[in-house]
Amino acid sequence: MTPDNRPNDRQQRDRRVVSSRLATLLLLLPALGLCAVFIFIPATLAIAGSLFEIGISFSNWRFVGFDNYVRVFNDAVFWIALRNNLIIVVGSIVLQVGGGTLLATLLDRGLPRYSTVYRTIIFAPMVISTVAIALIWLMILDPNTGALVAAMRVVGFPMPRLGWLGDPNIAIWTILVIAAWQYTGFMMVLILAGLQGISRDLYEAAALDGAKGMRAFWYITLPSIRNVVLVAILITTIGGIKVFDLVFATTQGGPANSTQVLGTYIYLQAFNLGNMGYANAISVVLLVFAVILGWAQLRATRRA
Amino acid sequence: MSVHAIRGAAGVALGALAAGAFMVSAAQAENVTLKMWALTNANYPGYIAERAAAFKELYPNVDVVLESTPNEAYKTAIQVALVGSEPPDVFFNWSGEDAARLAREGLALDITELGEMEGGFRHSLSEAWQSSFMLDGRNFGVPTNAVTKYFYYNTTFFAEHGLSEPATFGELLGLCRTIREIDPAIVPMPLGNSERWKLNHFITLLDERVIGMENTAADYALTAPDDELFTNPGYAAAWGKVLELQDAGCFQDAPNATSPEATRAMFSSGIAPIIFCGSWCAGIFDDDGFRDYALFRFPPVEGGASDGDSNMVIPEGVQISAKTKHPEEAVAWASFLVSGESSLERAKVMKQLPSNAERIADLEGATEQFKWIATDMASLGGSFNVLDVLLEASVANAYLDIGVEILNGTKTPDEAVAAIREVALEAKKKMNAN
Repeated sequence: MTPDNRPNDRQQRDRRVVSSRLATLLLLLPALGLCAVFIFIPATLAIAGSLFEIGISFSNWRFVGFDNYVRVFNDAVFWIALRNNLIIVVGSIVLQVGGGTLLATLLDRGLPRYSTVYRTIIFAPMVISTVAIALIWLMILDPNTGALVAAMRVVGFPMPRLGWLGDPNIAIWTILVIAAWQYTGFMMVLILAGLQGISRDLYEAAALDGAKGMRAFWYITLPSIRNVVLVAILITTIGGIKVFDLVFATTQGGPANSTQVLGTYIYLQAFNLGNMGYANAISVVLLVFAVILGWAQLRATRRA
Repeated sequence: MSVHAIRGAAGVALGALAAGAFMVSAAQAENVTLKMWALTNANYPGYIAERAAAFKELYPNVDVVLESTPNEAYKTAIQVALVGSEPPDVFFNWSGEDAARLAREGLALDITELGEMEGGFRHSLSEAWQSSFMLDGRNFGVPTNAVTKYFYYNTTFFAEHGLSEPATFGELLGLCRTIREIDPAIVPMPLGNSERWKLNHFITLLDERVIGMENTAADYALTAPDDELFTNPGYAAAWGKVLELQDAGCFQDAPNATSPEATRAMFSSGIAPIIFCGSWCAGIFDDDGFRDYALFRFPPVEGGASDGDSNMVIPEGVQISAKTKHPEEAVAWASFLVSGESSLERAKVMKQLPSNAERIADLEGATEQFKWIATDMASLGGSFNVLDVLLEASVANAYLDIGVEILNGTKTPDEAVAAIREVALEAKKKMNAN
């Protein structure tokens, strides 16, 4: 390279940098466009809409400032809905991730035969639509003709007088169990994949050192699948925050709002009661809640 | 809407609907597909398909496509669809606040002038019927039929046990107790309130029977003064009557977890001897092959303001989307649905009482029960709409929720009324602010 052509090289290098940046931008554009259309613009509209009182037709916008937010925090049903979301998040982590881990361990090491058959059976509810699952469970739990009621009568087990989904004290827990029935299989498959990546040598070496059974599970298995478990917890948490379909199809938030979650409450306010502005305010609070939880989860994952 | 006036509809609707004469110049020029939304009903697709074929003979360029949605989902789905860019051209709705709200929000088309055209519904329906879909003197819908509520009872069971129709609310309670004495396992009158509206029909009737229509009107319309709004002690008394029904063993243990379909099946399969059900249930029981039933009206409450001569009557009909690209064809189709011929078909196929009764005398093969309903509706001394479509949305929702709480025992009648009053005051404040 001679001194004469150095500026030319720089120009070429600059051009390469510019075109590389341009290419990056171009490649990012479709994703950014989709994010803008489906996330950023709706979120911005929701934030703007939360400052107004709006009817179902969006024709009359009346500026109310932060009144909708004040109303959110004074609304008893909002707190019930938030509490129920938290119950579903925490309960699902315990039942789905905990249960999934136990089942996966059992299938990985405890069952010498037919593990594929069991795996398929346990995973099967995952591929059924949530609405279909809700309908199946509505039939099973029907207080007059349901299979569970009939079975419990045979064994003399007392049934809740108001029904599994009619008693405000137990309806949300019933929904939690239905959700666990649907998703534990998925968690099991996820964790099983992690378990099958653990070298058998580790267990053999640990066995020589006297670590077997629960000790091996605690000191070898769990640390080895920590990242998988964290991903499972992240998926379950997101599912618990955005839960809508199962609640809507089983109880529609009832009886008397006892199973209301933020998703169904937003729907009720927006489309049943025509309070679009208020529904936007609840959505924004839900968004903030989800962002905080997501951020905390990501930090925990990175640390792991 | 006065039922006297509805009864008079047959007499008033003298001119046969000359649907073919409904001249729509635009319709002759282009092919039009009208999208229609309605509630899921086993017989409705067949009825609409047959009517659409007849309509096509008059309007060869117009097709009607029906899309159905189940009851509870429909109420919200239609609102979402009407706000969207592809709403149905014609859609089912209940009269009352549900229809009025869409009119106020500009989502339902004002069809007053279009209805005046030759062959339009304004010529075939009485003013009283039209008023059920009117707002400020303008037409925002076409009433096609009306539904009401009765107690249906198993005549064989009643005959076997020497039971008779109750003449008062007290006798109704006594009937429940007697049935429980016959067999404690029998649920006299199953209540499927999992969708909340079933008990709302009970409380609509009980409010009227205890307080009277005139005394509830200002509260329902939110026009009563703040210090009087929902303060009539009759409201708590009416909720108390629900508890009396429950205490008399009329209902099963878990009404809030039982679907309306399950209770209908319990009645039509003979498991339960009584059911409080809409006039539409007659068609359902007939389709189930169960004809062993008769009906009676909700009896008067002892000491109440009503003599029991009135009943809940809910006019139903169709509205036209304000966004439709084919308003003339849509109104022509809606008008065609209330022609004499279509109304007769409605009574035959749907077993519904049509808004245009001019050809009802031609109805052949109607069941005894259908004839009884038609006769009883024609003899009513008064009518009132159901609370969940009559009241402002948040007050209606409070009524629905509180019904659930009353049945669960988590609210007393006094607490129920206090909660409704609180919501009503808030709704009134908001209404006045707008």
